[in-house]
Amino acid sequence: MTALITLKGVNKYYGDYHALRDIDLTINTGEFFSLLGPSGCGKTTLLRTIAGLEDVSDGVVMIGGKDMRGVSANLRPTNMVFQSYAIFPHLSVAENVAFGLRKRTDLNKDDKAKMVEDALAMVGLSGYGKRASHALSGGQRQRVALARALILKPKVLLLDEPLSALDKKMREQMQVELIRLQRHVGITFILVTHDQEEALVMSDRIAVMFEGEIGQLADPETLYRRPNSRRVAEFIGKMNFLRADVLQVGDTIDVDVAGLGRVSVNAEQAPMALHKGAAVAGVRPETLAILFAGETTERKLIDGVVDEVVYYGDMTYYDVRIAGVDQPLNIAMKNLIGRPVLDVGTRTKVVWDERSLVILA
Amino acid sequence: MFNKLTSSEGGRGLLLISPPFFYALLLMAFPLGAIILFSFWTQDFMDVDTTFTLNNYRQIIEQPIYGALLQRSLFVSAVVTMVTVLLAFPIAYFVSFHVRPDRKSLWLFLITIPFWTSYLIRVFLWKVILGYNGVINTGLLNIGLIDEPLTFILYNINAVIITLAHAFAPFAILPIFVALEKIDRSLLEASRDLGENKVMTFFRVTLPLAMPGVVAAVLIVFIPTIGDYVTPELMGGAGGKLIANMIQTQFLALNNAPLGAALAVVAMLSVTAISLVFILLNRRWLRGRS
Amino acid sequence: MSLRIYAIAYLVFLYAPIVLLPIFAFNDATIIAFPLSGFTTDWFGELMTNRSLHTAVKNSLFIAVMTAVLSTLLGICAARAGAMYHFPVKAGIMGFIMLPLVLPEIIVAVSLLVVVVQIFDMGLSNWTIIAAHVLICTPFCIAILNGAFQNLDPSLEEAAMDLGESRFSAFRLVTLPLVMPGIISSMLIAFTISLDEFIIAFFLSGTSQTMPVYIWGLMRFPASLPVVMALGTIMVALSIILLTIAELLRRRGMARAGVKDKGGFL
Repeated sequence: MTALITLKGVNKYYGDYHALRDIDLTINTGEFFSLLGPSGCGKTTLLRTIAGLEDVSDGVVMIGGKDMRGVSANLRPTNMVFQSYAIFPHLSVAENVAFGLRKRTDLNKDDKAKMVEDALAMVGLSGYGKRASHALSGGQRQRVALARALILKPKVLLLDEPLSALDKKMREQMQVELIRLQRHVGITFILVTHDQEEALVMSDRIAVMFEGEIGQLADPETLYRRPNSRRVAEFIGKMNFLRADVLQVGDTIDVDVAGLGRVSVNAEQAPMALHKGAAVAGVRPETLAILFAGETTERKLIDGVVDEVVYYGDMTYYDVRIAGVDQPLNIAMKNLIGRPVLDVGTRTKVVWDERSLVILA
Repeated sequence: MFNKLTSSEGGRGLLLISPPFFYALLLMAFPLGAIILFSFWTQDFMDVDTTFTLNNYRQIIEQPIYGALLQRSLFVSAVVTMVTVLLAFPIAYFVSFHVRPDRKSLWLFLITIPFWTSYLIRVFLWKVILGYNGVINTGLLNIGLIDEPLTFILYNINAVIITLAHAFAPFAILPIFVALEKIDRSLLEASRDLGENKVMTFFRVTLPLAMPGVVAAVLIVFIPTIGDYVTPELMGGAGGKLIANMIQTQFLALNNAPLGAALAVVAMLSVTAISLVFILLNRRWLRGRS
Repeated sequence: MSLRIYAIAYLVFLYAPIVLLPIFAFNDATIIAFPLSGFTTDWFGELMTNRSLHTAVKNSLFIAVMTAVLSTLLGICAARAGAMYHFPVKAGIMGFIMLPLVLPEIIVAVSLLVVVVQIFDMGLSNWTIIAAHVLICTPFCIAILNGAFQNLDPSLEEAAMDLGESRFSAFRLVTLPLVMPGIISSMLIAFTISLDEFIIAFFLSGTSQTMPVYIWGLMRFPASLPVVMALGTIMVALSIILLTIAELLRRRGMARAGVKDKGGFL
């Protein structure tokens, strides 16, 4: 894998507001990379500095080994799919797609028409070229925006919340199509999104951003299983947090977890350096379980009382109170055959395993 | 959100706004400063004596004609404003609330068309309507309602008011309409849902929310009417002359530009003062209610 | 229902004077009063042969065209800056530029008269009128153009730049075609205001009269009033045609930009 985009010490100020703080980042050729974070975290600003639509206040943006300082958006090997799609309303679909080909004097009219038709076919809009662009649906506009950017064969395609304007069904369909398209064209995609599920589904690697900084950069599985901070863990999926006391740090970590007792965990389960003393232990709801009547387990058990029941159809989420912990534990259970939905107040046993714990400072 | 606050963008914005800004500075602010300066000078036959003096203002205060003219002008402007805005509000309300959305622009178009036809000719035509042998008198005579032509409708303040109310109608309707259009219709439903009837909903929700439009309408009618001398000249008769006629006379007939300038300054200050008082009272009223 | 009746009565009030225009323009009598005496087109004929009127019309057209172009250019600057950029004391600057909208015309007229004649000791000409008309028309142009510029998605120009166009060609290829209907309707309205403006023109006209100033002169001679009526009729007809074109263009612009019509010039 070769580095395509390198950001070194990138800072961005808007007056007193510090929008990007010392961003260091490398994005590889052919990668599907996501910038994930809550609104206002700087992810769109970061994308726009790569596109050349924003200047950096400080630091270096390199694309393909070239310093992009002073290179304006029109001269960069990047193309963008805008959040609003920015389809030119006065131009037809084909004219929109051909927009960036205007200065290509090496191509004649027929070449261009062929390229436009190919690009439209690639996004599943064959035969739409003559349509007026303002008559398109949201999904179609997005496909036009994709075709318009990809026809220029950029080194990087930048996608600014491209799916946020679509309804849930359309969004899921487009997620699959975007993945397929990215594999087909082999271009580096950088996606900005606030939807953690979208980022997990689509990306090779994800940078989670908070307040202008990158909180964690990892592949989706690592990000989910080994978040390096409470805020990353809370932003991506749900997690129960328990007070913990680190007793010894070495090849394994000995830790006393509130409600669960003394355990010894693998060093990998602490993504960031730990010291002896106060810490928190995180555990995902689906890695805990309720032991139903007739089921057996070899894992550890702890007594609890059902405090709240939320029924989701395929799943039921239980809040179960255990001794020594203020917050009840959130537990996700698949509604398999034979499993009843428990009532509030039911005494039950919770199954847990120290391998699913994450220890955070 | 923050994308637009960069200093370079700010610079680009300032660069772009500077031609209209400097134009307004050069052709509005600077000349306004000039007449203020001028009002402290004196006309000496064909020359202007540039020694600083308050004589022009003393003259305005001491000679009752100026005070009377100013008073009458402010009164006429106030009445015109009131009549115009009161007549305009129901129209704006009708177009905003009772006209189908696709018909709204047609109504606005119909309302604005008369405004774009020659002002002088419109004023003159009111003379034809209200005059001794005019449309109203001829009509009333023909159906036998009156025996001889009515004379109280032309060449007096009433005629001036009617004509100005007509001339400024669209200026009053449009800002009120815009304010009414902005009102979220669910607010009215919420008011009804919370137990208010239609009339009280209007007074407790619609009217306060439309107030910015009404204020804009009042100012946009009140301020320019002070400066009109065509209508009083043509419609006002001997007793219907206003301050603008006097300013015009000082400048163009009596060749006493400094006194004219002082009159213009006084007129402008009075209008501004009244407008500010109006805005303040309105704010207090709105705050008092909430 | 009663509101609708009121609305119609109001329209009658608005249109009452205008309806009289053609009636008296074709009336075969020098006195403008009822009863009507007969049909004639003489007054229109007289218009065709009146040379001083022709000069006044030419003057007015020149002034109106220059005013339309210049105030629309200033309006484009202000509307684009207002819609696309944030800059220091923006509200203050925009308010200042819009101020002529509420400035009494006589104040504009006398202050410019003082500056031009007394301070710079320059002669009055068509250009002094143009300068003043641009001042009072610019706020109207800004109001119209604001609609056009604010409906634009700012990422359209960015998209064009991202697709390889420079800042200027992005404006030319994307923004300009989209706001063109607004530009045309802004020019038409500035043109109409300037053509009709009397108070300022009366103070600032030099040796050559504008059309409203000429009409003002005619009004003192009752014999020439029917000619004024004929002239007025033609002007009203022209205004309505121009305004209809402006309105249709505005709507087409809205439709082209894919925006819902919110109605009205202002």
